[in-house]
Amino acid sequence: MNPKKTLLVSHAPFWHDGGGIPERSYHTLLAALPAACAGIAFYGAPALGVICLSISTAILWELLMNRIMRRPITVGDGNAALVGLLLAMLLPASAPWWVVVLGTFLAIVIGMQIFGGIGGNPFNPVVLGTAILSVAYGRHLDFDAGLVNFTFTAFASSTDPISALKAFGPEAVSHLRYLDLFLGKQVGGIGSTCGAAIVLGGIYLIFRGFIRWEISIAFLASVYLSAALFNMADPTRFAPPLFHLVTGYTLIGAFFLATENSSSPVNLFPMLIYGALGGVLTVLIRNIGAYTDGVLFAILVINLTNPLVDKIRPRAIGKAA
Amino acid sequence: MTSKKQLLFAYGLAIHLLLVAIICYAAFPVTAPAEPVRIMYQTTAGKVLFDHATHAGATGYSLSCFDCHHHPMGDQNAMTSCSECHPAAVEEGEQPLTCLNCHNGKDIRDTPILSRTDALHKGCTDCHAEFEKGPVMDANSCSRCHVI
Repeated sequence: MNPKKTLLVSHAPFWHDGGGIPERSYHTLLAALPAACAGIAFYGAPALGVICLSISTAILWELLMNRIMRRPITVGDGNAALVGLLLAMLLPASAPWWVVVLGTFLAIVIGMQIFGGIGGNPFNPVVLGTAILSVAYGRHLDFDAGLVNFTFTAFASSTDPISALKAFGPEAVSHLRYLDLFLGKQVGGIGSTCGAAIVLGGIYLIFRGFIRWEISIAFLASVYLSAALFNMADPTRFAPPLFHLVTGYTLIGAFFLATENSSSPVNLFPMLIYGALGGVLTVLIRNIGAYTDGVLFAILVINLTNPLVDKIRPRAIGKAA
Repeated sequence: MTSKKQLLFAYGLAIHLLLVAIICYAAFPVTAPAEPVRIMYQTTAGKVLFDHATHAGATGYSLSCFDCHHHPMGDQNAMTSCSECHPAAVEEGEQPLTCLNCHNGKDIRDTPILSRTDALHKGCTDCHAEFEKGPVMDANSCSRCHVI
């Protein structure tokens, strides 16, 4: 929520501070780059190929849609490039080219352009695109199946920890050290495993004011608390809360996905409710749901609640919820 | 609205990254090495991930190749996929083509060939039972290997 004094308007002339959508997009892109670079360091040229193809095709899809719909060309604002990068960070390095191209189509065209472009999307386009891919082409997004030809000598386990937990229980992942997992020594998405880099990027975005800490912190605290409750209830079936924080899409979800401007609320309490709901749903899906990682579906559900929580008084200014 | 400079930057980004992507996909495709690292068996009872490198590697269990690739013993010709000799389904009296590469069909007519499922179950469970390590098979143990 903005401090009240920033809403006081003086007389003209006004001075634009130079900020805008391109600034937001490219700073977010910059903040996400360290985690993406960590993925390239772990997986090599195939990861670089996925990232480059994803950014490039996301821009091209948006350009094509701008042309078809005869609307102003918006690719210059950098949002398509950002969507492309974040989508690539969620994919395995083994993703075939057509999965990447289809993923950016789903994110840009289905997730954003048909709603009128940036600002009009009810769901986070990256999450929507990846969720559709994971349901439709699960094997290509299965990290264990996709990365069978990669050697992980630096990792304590050559399987996706969150999948191992789901299939074989907490004992199967009890030998993994949280610090190693946080530093990215785990099988997973190209840019979603190196928690240290993601947190660094997230803190940068919070301090620059591009994302709101309320959503990220509420999401993470909620994941921790709900996972702790499950763990206390039955430690033989449910993993410790820290494990849930440093594996899967939790950190990238908290800092880069749940905080997307168009699909998240703007006031303090709505943001806290939105983030906390996302965290609870994530742990519920992981612990008792059918899917391995609940972050994608949890964020889609909280995106749905966004118009509702925005109605909590004082209502969000300028949002037609 | 964005400036012309920002638009040109986006066009440049799209074209250059597309070229890099094409080079990466063409020059560094993800292909299976001659000796597998891990093998994912997609079965009707869920997937099973077998870590070939850990079982065969010097830093792993250091198994001899012929502990599993058992026929012909001591011959490099045995270094093939299990399913080359153990097909998904075996008709009674039918021999896989791989057998007929070396054997006369009449000579091996009475030699039973296990289906891939039976061969893998037997190979894995016998070895794990012998060494009393890892998942051991019993009546309720499917989910120790199969991701159901």
